[in-house]
Amino acid sequence: MAAPARVLVADDEEDIRLLVTLAVRKAGCTVVAAVADGAQALAAARAERPDLVVLDVSMPEATGLEVCAALRADPDTAGCQVLLLSAGASPDDVARGLAAGADAYLPKPFTVAGLIDQVRRLVVAGSPA
Amino acid sequence: MTVLADPVATRLPAQPSPVAHRAVVPTGLALLGLAGLVVLLLRPTAPVTVTAALAVLGCVAELARRLRGQLAAAEELEAQRLDLVSRGQSTAEELEVATRMMRARAQTMTSVIDAVTEQSIIGTDPDGLIRVWNPGAERMLGLPRADVVRTRSITDFHAPEELDPDEPEGSVTDRDAARFAALVQAAREQGSDVRDWTYLTADGRRLTVSVAITPRTDDDGEQAGWNFVGTDMTEARAAERLKDQFVSLISHELRTPLSSILGYLELVMDDEEQPLTDEQRQYLTTVERNAHRLLRLVGDLLFTAQVDAGRLILQPEDVDLAGIVRAAEETARVTAAARGVAVIVEVPDAGLVVRGDALRLGQACDNLVSNAVKFTPGGGQVTLRLRQAWQHADGAVTDEATADATAVALLSVSDTGVGIPSGEQGQLFTSFFRASTARRNAVPGVGLGLTITKAITTAHGGMLDVESAEGRGTTFTLTLPLDGVPDS
Repeated sequence: MAAPARVLVADDEEDIRLLVTLAVRKAGCTVVAAVADGAQALAAARAERPDLVVLDVSMPEATGLEVCAALRADPDTAGCQVLLLSAGASPDDVARGLAAGADAYLPKPFTVAGLIDQVRRLVVAGSPA
Repeated sequence: MTVLADPVATRLPAQPSPVAHRAVVPTGLALLGLAGLVVLLLRPTAPVTVTAALAVLGCVAELARRLRGQLAAAEELEAQRLDLVSRGQSTAEELEVATRMMRARAQTMTSVIDAVTEQSIIGTDPDGLIRVWNPGAERMLGLPRADVVRTRSITDFHAPEELDPDEPEGSVTDRDAARFAALVQAAREQGSDVRDWTYLTADGRRLTVSVAITPRTDDDGEQAGWNFVGTDMTEARAAERLKDQFVSLISHELRTPLSSILGYLELVMDDEEQPLTDEQRQYLTTVERNAHRLLRLVGDLLFTAQVDAGRLILQPEDVDLAGIVRAAEETARVTAAARGVAVIVEVPDAGLVVRGDALRLGQACDNLVSNAVKFTPGGGQVTLRLRQAWQHADGAVTDEATADATAVALLSVSDTGVGIPSGEQGQLFTSFFRASTARRNAVPGVGLGLTITKAITTAHGGMLDVESAEGRGTTFTLTLPLDGVPDS
């Protein structure tokens, strides 16, 4: 049996961070770290090399878009899956997120069921064939 | 008062006067008459006397006749002269009137332009050299008219990076010409142009100015130059940016806690290991419903802000309006049933496809149906009808297709509800307006639904009409062209 996928969660809102953590666990994954800003997210991603990073867009130190671009630019982290969460729900917001290199974009408020589905889909997509 | 000389009279050729005519008596006749008179005096009894007398009388008669003829000719010439003098005077008077009118018109134009102190009015020649500079321009840009007219180019007052982003090579004259060409390019191509430009003031400030550029022509229709009418929008644009930031902040600050509320509710309500009692589920369902209501309000506020900012973006596709109508009925079904309101749907079996944004058209239809249900007391009825019709050039919509008609979809939502007072119907589409019947009947809402519906309809090139009678009900009709929104 394959080991559970390893997921990094980053959101400056504690309640949302916990909610995402619970949803990720319900999806059958392991949360390797849950951090509150962009700089911590980048450091944790480089240290843990997770399969999936769930990033809030609006965070202190570095935005989710900046973290995403930095992950893509670093060969050690370029291969991980990235899911962006954001209060911005316009087509422009989504386009900016995908242009930064995200694999998926989920506007807030999201349903827990929807988040679990996305996490499972991305983990499968990111796993070696 | 200026007294004009008689230019026509002085220009007329000299005419012989009647006196002169009278003096020119044919000398032959005069001599003959004189000879006869001499004979009569010297030989009054001679036989030749009768002949001489007759000759004298004949001469006198002939002289008199000729004199009368010449007198008549002279009088006719005098009449012609007087007529010419009169006409000359009329022409001079007309010229004076026209001159006065021209002066008055120029004075009016100057006074109007000078009276504009909140907008800059700058006129240039075809090459951009400033010829007109009103007090509004003086005030906005900080230079008096005397310092700029005929000496400065309008491009001197524009941020150069907006006119030559590529920093063209060449002489200063070439660069000025290129900048001016860039400034008027859109107006040259489209006949006029209105957009924001950055003006540079004499004291170094940068102003965001909405400038209307139009060509100016002379009396022969030839282009004489360009007009630039500018309104300082610096503060307005800053306020718009602030509003955008505020909306963005509100969006984030409201959506994030709503994410928590809805997310944790979902975890609790769907927890199979710890099922809720019916009572607990009922309470939490109420919390969830109200959280969604707040979420819709946030969405409506954001949407209204986007419309106000002119940033409503549609994603066109082929949309079956019949499906939209059925979905709206489904959405309203539970609420309508709870209120005892019957909802009837009449749509074509084959559907009716328009080109539009499915999400936004659904939102518009949902708003109308939700309103109809909210404003209809128990026992009432809401009817959703959809059919194709034809809109003619005069705007009339009929079932008859003609060459000039456009195919449209007519979507009407009728209710048997409380109605809208006629005096309030004109304000229905204004943001946050609530009809007195809504307040009196404590119908919930903030007054954004119809504003949004109208904005969506307009963005699709359609119309939203209302017919209502207080106490009898209301019908909203959406008229949408089938070819609606072109692909972006």
